[in-house]
Amino acid sequence: MYKIKSLIIIIFSLLLALPLKAQEDERFFKAAGTPVNPKVQVSWNKYYTYSGIKDLCEKLAGAHPGLVKIESAGKSYEGRDMIVLIVTNHKSQDPNHKPGYYIDGNIHSNEIQGTEMALYAAWYLAEMYDENDFIRELLDDKVFYILPTINPDARENYMHEPNTSSSPRSGMAPRDDDRDGLVDEDGFDDINGDGVISTMRRKSPYGEYRSDPADPRQMIRVEPGQPGEYEMLGYEGIDNDGDGEVNEDRQGSYDPNRDWGYNWEPDYVQRGADKYPFSFPENRAVRNFATKHRNIAGAQTYHNSGGMILRGPSIEGGGSEVYSREDEQVMNAIGQMGETIIPGYRFLTIWKDMYTVYGGEVDWWYGFMGTFVYSNELWTSRLMFQDDSRDNYKFDKLLLFEDAFIPWKEYDHPVYGKVEIGGFDKNFGRNHPGFLLEADAHRNTAFCFYHAYHTPKLEVRDIKVKDLQGSLKQVTATVANLRIMPTHSGQNLRYKIDPPDYIYLDGGEVVAGMIVLDEDNNVCKEQVKNPQRIEVENIPGNSTVKVRWIVKGGNRFTVRVESVKGGHTSGTN
Amino acid sequence: MKKIIKFFLFSLMVFFATEAIICSQAKYHSHGEINSILGRLNNAYPGLTTIETIGTTDSGKDINVLTIGTGETGAKPGIAIIGGIDGRYIAGREIALGFAERLLENSGDNEINELINHVSFYVIPDASPDASSGFFSDPKQERLVNANPTDNDRDFKTDEDPYEDLNGDGFISMMRVKEPTGDYITDPEEERLMRKADPAKGETGSWCLYSEGIDNDKDGNFNEDGQGGVNFNNNFSFEYEEFGQNAGINAVSEKESRAVADFLYDHFNIFAVFSFGPQDNLGQAFKPARTTQAQPQVPSQAQPQTGRQQFSRGPRKVTNIFPEDSDHNTLLSEKYLEYTGYSGSPGFTREPGNFMEWAYYHYGRYSYSTPGWWIQTEKGLSSEASFLKYAAENIDEEVFTEWQEVEHPDFPGKTVEVGGMKPFAMYNPPENKLEEVVESNYQFLIDAAQLHPEPELLDLETEKLDKDLFRVTVKLRNKGILATTSQMGDQVKWMRKLKVELKSGSDFSLASGKKIIVADRLKGGESREFSWLIVGRGDFTISADAINCGMDEISFTLR
Repeated sequence: MYKIKSLIIIIFSLLLALPLKAQEDERFFKAAGTPVNPKVQVSWNKYYTYSGIKDLCEKLAGAHPGLVKIESAGKSYEGRDMIVLIVTNHKSQDPNHKPGYYIDGNIHSNEIQGTEMALYAAWYLAEMYDENDFIRELLDDKVFYILPTINPDARENYMHEPNTSSSPRSGMAPRDDDRDGLVDEDGFDDINGDGVISTMRRKSPYGEYRSDPADPRQMIRVEPGQPGEYEMLGYEGIDNDGDGEVNEDRQGSYDPNRDWGYNWEPDYVQRGADKYPFSFPENRAVRNFATKHRNIAGAQTYHNSGGMILRGPSIEGGGSEVYSREDEQVMNAIGQMGETIIPGYRFLTIWKDMYTVYGGEVDWWYGFMGTFVYSNELWTSRLMFQDDSRDNYKFDKLLLFEDAFIPWKEYDHPVYGKVEIGGFDKNFGRNHPGFLLEADAHRNTAFCFYHAYHTPKLEVRDIKVKDLQGSLKQVTATVANLRIMPTHSGQNLRYKIDPPDYIYLDGGEVVAGMIVLDEDNNVCKEQVKNPQRIEVENIPGNSTVKVRWIVKGGNRFTVRVESVKGGHTSGTN
Repeated sequence: MKKIIKFFLFSLMVFFATEAIICSQAKYHSHGEINSILGRLNNAYPGLTTIETIGTTDSGKDINVLTIGTGETGAKPGIAIIGGIDGRYIAGREIALGFAERLLENSGDNEINELINHVSFYVIPDASPDASSGFFSDPKQERLVNANPTDNDRDFKTDEDPYEDLNGDGFISMMRVKEPTGDYITDPEEERLMRKADPAKGETGSWCLYSEGIDNDKDGNFNEDGQGGVNFNNNFSFEYEEFGQNAGINAVSEKESRAVADFLYDHFNIFAVFSFGPQDNLGQAFKPARTTQAQPQVPSQAQPQTGRQQFSRGPRKVTNIFPEDSDHNTLLSEKYLEYTGYSGSPGFTREPGNFMEWAYYHYGRYSYSTPGWWIQTEKGLSSEASFLKYAAENIDEEVFTEWQEVEHPDFPGKTVEVGGMKPFAMYNPPENKLEEVVESNYQFLIDAAQLHPEPELLDLETEKLDKDLFRVTVKLRNKGILATTSQMGDQVKWMRKLKVELKSGSDFSLASGKKIIVADRLKGGESREFSWLIVGRGDFTISADAINCGMDEISFTLR
């Protein structure tokens, strides 16, 4: 009896341990466009610490072994693994032979939601593979390289240490910001000990501020001639090193997004730059990862905020970066579709519409890798009331029930005496409030998918064999690119970043080979050297190239295409 | 007794033997020889030197730095002396090495002893040893690049088309092919030399000119992708050229450039860098731009900075020397010509990503560079013709390989001749002149080192205003010739500021003034006054220091 009982328990436990088939759970009814009962349950209304990210990534890889693989691109400054998820149908083809799509987030450590957006994409792809034809095709054809955070150390600092909504932004390597020979010696001081750096005010009849009668939490400037109530004393802090300046040498204080080896300039030209390009191990790890994955044809690097879909160049004229006319068309076609997919986000060019950035990641991806890249500035105040009113106080009151505000409260400051400390929490203003996170993650992910879908898709079509004199045959094949993006961007062609596309003919002995420029009028360009492998410099988007061989013998011919960013494919007559 | 004498004699022998090893012969030393000389110097002068390996190249060669100085070397103004930044300019390696040897040999002299006590020297004789190894390889060839395999011609193959010594003379020289389509002619001024035909003068070419070798990969180009690599002197971030020839995958991407840049950045005390290579500003000083250039402003650190405000659009790039720095450059250049007796200038070689301009524009230090030796080009003659003329009278060794016909597999049935200037000949003095070149450069460097900035506190005044209230005034003066920071360095984050600090063991407060003052730069001879209103009594100290010019301290008692 005892034995039977334990057997039942074992069987029951085994059943529980088996992943439940999604459709069979009676508790759920599918909402359009989301997995009804995902193997990995994730709530997308919160943010994940490094251990949360790691846990989620490991669960995804564990639950979807054929779709998600987890790797490390290297170590961060403090020794954390730079987690990469490689998401694709790992069985369909060697992932290195598929067009790649890259997503990273959180290069600015306080801009945390890029991580959740990147994770959402990985999760959605894996969980929807069996439910949706578009996603299945996407993962059969493409490979996604997803780095949820490329600044893990400072993400931890942002979440666990006292910070504002804008700090640290940097990574964690110590730096001497005020050139006094000491590093990071005068950072913020969390006077009220609440883990957030908010603002200090002091009662003063000569102050220039008073409470807003409409919402007393808000400080407004008094009209000239009117009496004031408070003076504002800046962020919580003390002059730790006694030089008369407050908070002037905080942790780090460089900009990891001014550290990339393209159009790089030093700190006096581009504030935030360090010694030289790739001064930091995180960016070096990404560079090394990318140069080993030259198939990455499209990329997204998430920032916040402002609701923008940004494209390069980041400096006027682009430096040695040149968008060809064809590239402009591609960038604009995809970017403008982004404005439709993510209402409220505007499609803008970095140097022209925002500001100049030397040594930014966007210019490196396009400039050095020849990759079509966008950088979305996540979150815009337009998402609050779907208008341009931008009233944070009203939103916090009506929709967040004042959860985002630290009420003003009196504290003793060692130098300023009695002060009041309060203001918005560090998680508000730049990062999404929870209930809006999933919706915006989905829209931004949909934009990435649209972009990824339009990396090249090559197909061999229409292999025609014609008998010539004697045993000679003429084999003509068409290679089509069915998507918007070319196999080689203008930058790629200009600097020969990738080899040309190779089109091989197998079967029969190749005597001559050529590119057919005009089939009707028989205009061809012969390739004398190694004619079995025809070199085509580019296969533009939504177009075809024709190649021809003269062969001796053979009946069955296979045409193989190898393109670094366009993937590998073949066709047989 | 006999034993003692024997021992004494033996010691004497060892002493002389050691001396003999240390005074190395004036010759071109291989990288291995340089490193063993550095090692021996380090053993011979234990109180004055330290040796450090700052990097290892892809072929396994150690890049060594010999630090010469006393006490806490890192807290005294420092000078970096760097050779081997360009693989062709091998004499610069000997100048750097010879400087270290001479400085140490003379360290017993009062003047040198005084200098070593005040200034720390960082000598890197061979910064890019894989490149300079071309001089010692067989065949001898001018090599610019390190041993990091690269696809120089971007044909997606690496290192597939090196040089070949076709005439077997042990040198890689030039190769000319008689072709009606060629655009070169023999120079009518100097028949041995080739130059481009000038159609405006009614000339038509009859030769094609290539470097010596075979088109190994049959792409129509000769020797375009040899062994390695990246050129150290094109791999720095100032005006770095993306996708440039031998430039590397990004600025400061290589083991050599990173090792040197990191070493320099880690040594905040270095105020001047002397390097020896193709760039020159000692034969002819840099002049400031005629139009005033926008002065970059470093945003104030005082404000709490956030987001966009902190990282807004930067000021313009600086690409011309600042006027005051130019004045110093002129002074140094005059001294250089005086010590060496050279005339004219080797000319400034424009190169993207070069080291010497980086050391000024990005590293922010006084940066001086020269080939260390040159022949003045005669009016009306090409530099090569001038050199051949000079060599005929002054150089015993053969500097030119006479054109000699060879069989060439890529040009069957055509006239192919190998010859031309011997590699390295034009850039480096013959070995018998090396001693003299090293000596005059040493003398110059010693003189230049004396110009170092040095803070001095003087004219201390204390006034008693009331029982416990004192006004203290002091002047801080830079008694050196060079500024505490170059004008360029003032823009750069990697240059420390002057710091004036008031300290006391007793309790005190300040009615006016700050305990720590981070002060702006002082020109040579310039002084500035600081004052405090101190409430309290006791023993006080005021210190003034910037790591790149040393420190001074003054003490007083208030009662």
